[in-house]
Amino acid sequence: MSARLRSSLFPYAIAVPFAIVLAFPFAWMVLTSLKRQDQIFDPAHMWRFTATTEGWRFLFHDTQYLTWVKNTAIIGGLVVAITLVLALPAGYALARLSGRFGQSMGVAIFLTYLVPPTLLFLPLSRVITKLGLQDSIWSLVLVYPSFTVPFSVWLLMGFFKTIPPELEDAALVDGCSRLKAIYRVVFPISLPGILTVVIFSFSLVVNEYIYAITFISRSAHRTVSAGVPTDLVRGDLYNWPSIMASILIPSIPLALIYNAFLNRFITGFTGGAFR
Amino acid sequence: MAGVDDELVTPEEEDRLSRRELLRKAGVGAVGLTAAGSAASKAFAFAGPMRYKGRWLKGDLNILQWVHFVPAYDDWFDNTYIKQWGQKNDVQVHVDHINNTQIPARAAAEVAAQSGHDMIEYLSPPAQYERQVIDHAPIVQQIQSKVGKISDLGRRSTYNPKTKKWFGVNHYYVPDPVVWRHDIWNGVGESPATWDHVRAAAPKLKAAGHPIGIGQSQELDSNMALIAFLMCFGGFIQNDHNRPTLKGKNTVQAVQFMADIYKRGEENDIFGWNPASNNQYLYSGRGSLILNAISATRTPEDQHLPFADDLWIWPIPRGPHGRLGLEHVMGVYSIWKFAKNKASAQKFVADLCINYKNATMASKLYNFPGFPGAMSFKQIHRVAAADTHKPRGKYSILTTIAEKYTHNVGYPGTTNAAIDEIFSTFLIPQMFADVSQGKKSAAQSVADTDKQVQKIFAKWRAAGLV
Repeated sequence: MSARLRSSLFPYAIAVPFAIVLAFPFAWMVLTSLKRQDQIFDPAHMWRFTATTEGWRFLFHDTQYLTWVKNTAIIGGLVVAITLVLALPAGYALARLSGRFGQSMGVAIFLTYLVPPTLLFLPLSRVITKLGLQDSIWSLVLVYPSFTVPFSVWLLMGFFKTIPPELEDAALVDGCSRLKAIYRVVFPISLPGILTVVIFSFSLVVNEYIYAITFISRSAHRTVSAGVPTDLVRGDLYNWPSIMASILIPSIPLALIYNAFLNRFITGFTGGAFR
Repeated sequence: MAGVDDELVTPEEEDRLSRRELLRKAGVGAVGLTAAGSAASKAFAFAGPMRYKGRWLKGDLNILQWVHFVPAYDDWFDNTYIKQWGQKNDVQVHVDHINNTQIPARAAAEVAAQSGHDMIEYLSPPAQYERQVIDHAPIVQQIQSKVGKISDLGRRSTYNPKTKKWFGVNHYYVPDPVVWRHDIWNGVGESPATWDHVRAAAPKLKAAGHPIGIGQSQELDSNMALIAFLMCFGGFIQNDHNRPTLKGKNTVQAVQFMADIYKRGEENDIFGWNPASNNQYLYSGRGSLILNAISATRTPEDQHLPFADDLWIWPIPRGPHGRLGLEHVMGVYSIWKFAKNKASAQKFVADLCINYKNATMASKLYNFPGFPGAMSFKQIHRVAAADTHKPRGKYSILTTIAEKYTHNVGYPGTTNAAIDEIFSTFLIPQMFADVSQGKKSAAQSVADTDKQVQKIFAKWRAAGLV
């Protein structure tokens, strides 16, 4: 084998096994979702089985799955919007604050992200009750920014620091106001960071569990993360075909979005790494 | 919830609700419900035509309860029972089902907010919440007047002799047999009659590719199995005066013995056990023995798994101290002090317990009535013996297990706040796991756990609940 061929095959030798490993869960989800419940536990049917869409049928007809997806999308969209509205100006301001104060504020805000929801849900449940938001998706819209905003502020702060202030100065010299300079100059350059915040915040919302099970009781108000383990697990009987189908559905668009914005996503995460 | 505030039953009003009055009202409901039960096949929805028309009960009743291990029970409860009861009593009943592991978090949140459901169905007695719930004595008395005394198990689990308060009503418990694969055990020439037999068979079973599955993890099934195992060796968390007694040679011997079983015949999976692991292990065809309620055998029967007929049910293996088991889970309804519709909640619980035969049948004999008079052991035995699944009559042993070998958590004392905390913080499984994993010696692990147990008892004693 020539050296040239070897070098061209080398990336594939690394990437293909990785791709197989990473694709395996998806393949397993598809396979399991097409099995009958009794075939799940039978090792003889691990690979050979009669495909059925019963798990999918159950998911769409016997549970409120589509409502959970809709709730998740609504909550996710609103939380992302709130996060951007709060985190963009905060991140910018902290990035431009000179000296130790800005740095300390940034760290302090990030520390709030580290307080675990398993502790916070107790006092927050009182707040939710006082506001009359029990068993409403608005309780989650209110609570979720408590962890998306701190992380996003910290992320954006690092990203904004990579943008030379001279660019804004030039815009100011050209007659832009401060706000216009931010809007016209800073934000377009920061798009990878903003996209990162959008995707990351949305992922956090989709994956959140503690608040979702604590503040929501009715099945019709649940998100996917709370609805699936509650309505598809009957005591110790897991409806694996439906569970796998239910996980597969949201994971595909998320995977596609990640893939489409992969480069910007990486830029967003590493943007502030070298300052 | 509109319109229910003026119907709040305050503690003073509860006192005014005399026993006779409660008896009369619940009795009427019970009779009505029995009549309605005869028309159960004609499912109907509560259209609410009588909403608040001069009824002594009115408004909405909000219940939070777990997703039952036997789906047929929830189907009956949600689609038949609460609808009939709701219409009969002019109450709109809402039931929110959540996974059993989510109940503690939900209860804690509702206490913090002093708001939420009217009552929660717990899977273990919620003794820690005694101060947050009403005294359920009138309900217990009402039920007892109709169907006879509460079981000793139920009384020990929901009555605090120190404060003289019933902090819940035990409507059912679930016997906890050992479920084992007869074909596999037969293949190695053993049976799980005693823990010595289990230890002797363990290496052979593992070598045959069918290890034993007794969890040592921070979850419900491990808790139950290991506390019962401990009792079989004469190790008890407390004595009959509710004084901690964990530290002792019997406990050390038990912990060492279980570590031995693990090393000989179990796999690392048991340290990551969750409430579904018992059954899944069995369903996979690998597991040869678990301690679990009959959901473990019902699912293989329903799904026609190839080994369903080889699943045998026996009482817990005998240990040096005897054959002492626990309930597998215990359904306890507790009504919050902050409940908005206490009157309806009280009557709902009373009516359910009085008519518990339907519930036991709907659960496929999973739920044994907390008040045995609601469906006698004789009646249950007759139904169990008629079960056609093979080996024929295997379920008839359940009544023996329930009568002779089922005890409360905290036996020989009562289930109290200290026991509840020890149970919900999984100290006992941790004590076993630390030894099985080689982190501590048996004596050290028991001594360390005992220190924590003593602290917990001291805390609750200071709080006046133990």
